[in-house]
Amino acid sequence: MNLIKRLGLTAVGALIAATTVSAAWAESAADRAVKEAQKYKGQTITIVWEAGLQSLDPLNFSGPLWEKLTGMKVKVVEVQTAEMFTKIMQEYRAGTGAYDALNVMPSWMPDLANAGALEPLDAYVDKYGYKDEFQKIAPIYRDNWAKANGKIYGLPDDGDVFIMYFRKDIFEDPKIKDAFKAKTGHDLSVPKTWKEFGETGSALTEILKPQNVYGAAFFRQPPYTMFMFQERFRNEGGKFFDAETMKATINSDIGVKVLTDMRNENKFMPPGVEQWGFVENLAAFMAGQTAMTISWPPYGRWAAGYGTDDKALNWVPKSTVGGKVGYALPPGGHPELAAGFDLSIASTSKNKDAAYLFIQWLNSEDISLQRVKLPTTLRDPFRDSHYTDAGYLALWPDAKDYLKTLKDASLAGIFDLSVLQTDKYEEVLRQAIGKLWAGEDPKAILDAAAGEWDGITKKIGVDKQKAVYADWASKSGAYPK
Amino acid sequence: MTSASPFVLSVIARHPSGRMPDHNFRYWIIAPSVFLLLLIGLFPLIYSLVVSFQQITMTDYDTSFAGLTNYAQLFDDARLWQSIAHTLIITIIALPVELVFGLAMAHLFLERMPGRQIFISLIVLPTVISPVVAGATWRLLFDQRYGPINQVIGWFAGHEVVMLWNITPHLVYPAILICEIWQWTPFMFLILLAALSNVDKSLTEAAELDGAGFWRIFFKIVLPAIWPVMAIAILIRGVDLFRIFDVIWALTSGGPGTMTETISIYTYVQGFQQFESSYTAAIAFLIVGLMSVIVIWAIRRMGLAK
Repeated sequence: MNLIKRLGLTAVGALIAATTVSAAWAESAADRAVKEAQKYKGQTITIVWEAGLQSLDPLNFSGPLWEKLTGMKVKVVEVQTAEMFTKIMQEYRAGTGAYDALNVMPSWMPDLANAGALEPLDAYVDKYGYKDEFQKIAPIYRDNWAKANGKIYGLPDDGDVFIMYFRKDIFEDPKIKDAFKAKTGHDLSVPKTWKEFGETGSALTEILKPQNVYGAAFFRQPPYTMFMFQERFRNEGGKFFDAETMKATINSDIGVKVLTDMRNENKFMPPGVEQWGFVENLAAFMAGQTAMTISWPPYGRWAAGYGTDDKALNWVPKSTVGGKVGYALPPGGHPELAAGFDLSIASTSKNKDAAYLFIQWLNSEDISLQRVKLPTTLRDPFRDSHYTDAGYLALWPDAKDYLKTLKDASLAGIFDLSVLQTDKYEEVLRQAIGKLWAGEDPKAILDAAAGEWDGITKKIGVDKQKAVYADWASKSGAYPK
Repeated sequence: MTSASPFVLSVIARHPSGRMPDHNFRYWIIAPSVFLLLLIGLFPLIYSLVVSFQQITMTDYDTSFAGLTNYAQLFDDARLWQSIAHTLIITIIALPVELVFGLAMAHLFLERMPGRQIFISLIVLPTVISPVVAGATWRLLFDQRYGPINQVIGWFAGHEVVMLWNITPHLVYPAILICEIWQWTPFMFLILLAALSNVDKSLTEAAELDGAGFWRIFFKIVLPAIWPVMAIAILIRGVDLFRIFDVIWALTSGGPGTMTETISIYTYVQGFQQFESSYTAAIAFLIVGLMSVIVIWAIRRMGLAK
């Protein structure tokens, strides 16, 4: 009887415990963060955010909402993208503790983590029960952007990825399809390889030029093309370094082919495309002057007219192509997760727990979904739930295709080279692109660039960089699988 | 009614006689200014010199003594010497052109004419614009898609012309020089107009009566008279051109590649993009050394030290 009684009590106890635990876990990460953060009522946390549209999120939405829910104030330090790394490092070196939370580009992570500027977040993730929701971040971001040296240093918070946008009305127009077939001998379809892209773009320009429409255009200024080179080079099978010797291998035949192809493509793009940046390319696409382009996700939303009536987006050209835009992965099928942002904690912060709770709340399923739907703030979907959210799917008629493409990209993307002093390597690539547009020989350009890369590696220390490169190359999004 | 500052009162109060100290007081008065100047001038200079012998980068705070490593690296740095060459090319072309145009315009506006004051005000306008704004404006003017310059050239050519002023190698320097000369010729004009206005007219009139021609009068009377002012203008613009940054940064960012990278841009890139703090300090001292030699030579050569 005693045994039965004891078993019965144990069962009841287990049931109560299980109920309590499940109730606790049923609480969302956002709710948990709010509840815990109420202890810090009256305190202020300072967060570094990219200046401009991005920072409208904490200034107008998440900051005020967090203050309302927790009584904590959020001070937003807006910094130009080019200055963010410097500011973060300077504050770390000075040890002022001026910043609590940070927006960090994943390619800076090795430098910032190795310097000790970032707080490892694993303990906070466990302490505040964020593991489950962290796991629900789309794998490509979660597995590639969050960690350095095996530790979590950032919560991936922006699904930056290159997507191809094409004009469905052009690709589905019977007359254009006939003309294309007559010209090329095969059917018109959205290109899946760069070879197909060259043929399609060239033929479409020939067919559509009388209507002042070009087959394609890209942003060709070096900072953007540098990302596109990284993407195409790896899609074609290129490797940045010899993993054993750490000698740069960008001057391989693949690299030369990519540069040569890129320059040849300019011939069927609008004159002066080499000067185009984000806005020029956007303006041409929105005006219906290009049949294909590649860019970050906001192009897709703005082309559909989503949010462009907002005052903050009054600089965005009015779309003439709403409802006519299709979405696809760029040729090669492995799009670049170009740039992007993690949310991190400064190691010198005096309010680490409070700051962590704020970024957990921002990054949580509930709040991040609201943030990626803000029309003005440039945060792009990065969670599995974002791609399937009924509200998002209903934002414009083709939103389902848009989100499906972003989801596909989240399964196949490749992320920026992220090693020690990445920006030095990127700067060499930016200069190489400039030389390419100036007409220099691709092989000579890449030989010089590889020499400069070797010089940078030597200065950093071959073994030191080799270890960091090995860590980067071991990740799922380093090279196409 | 006047009021003595607390600082002055405290100095008087500390004097045993209670009267104004006659010897040291003047030093007390200038001490704060001297201290401030030393703090913001001499301290950074000395600190930079110390840093130039270390190996500090943004990510590696290595303050150990590195000897002359950074200075030795200067000699092997081809990009550095190329940037100095680019700077000299721009200086050597822009300076004489600005001088000649400025002088010609000043001569033109020397005589009274209707609307003279208005024209002078309009001509001087570019100098009051921030160089970075001037560079950005010219970038737009030169733009293939939106810029009027290529459109105008296209009208004359009778077809669309594609001229990528900030990318094509043979166009980037003309673009920079056009912008630079447009902005700073008025500076030369203004200074030389003032100098020409002060040339003794009786001398030039006497020379004319004696049958001297325009060029003879110019070289024998006018030029010697305006030379001290002209030399100062040349020196100021020469130094300005040697440290040219904003216009080029806005127009080409030093590109394509590093084709238009000047010494100031290269220093900025090393210091604030590549974060090579110690090496940048060494470059800074190289520039200080070069500039000192050039300016001292120029001052002596121009007879400004007399």
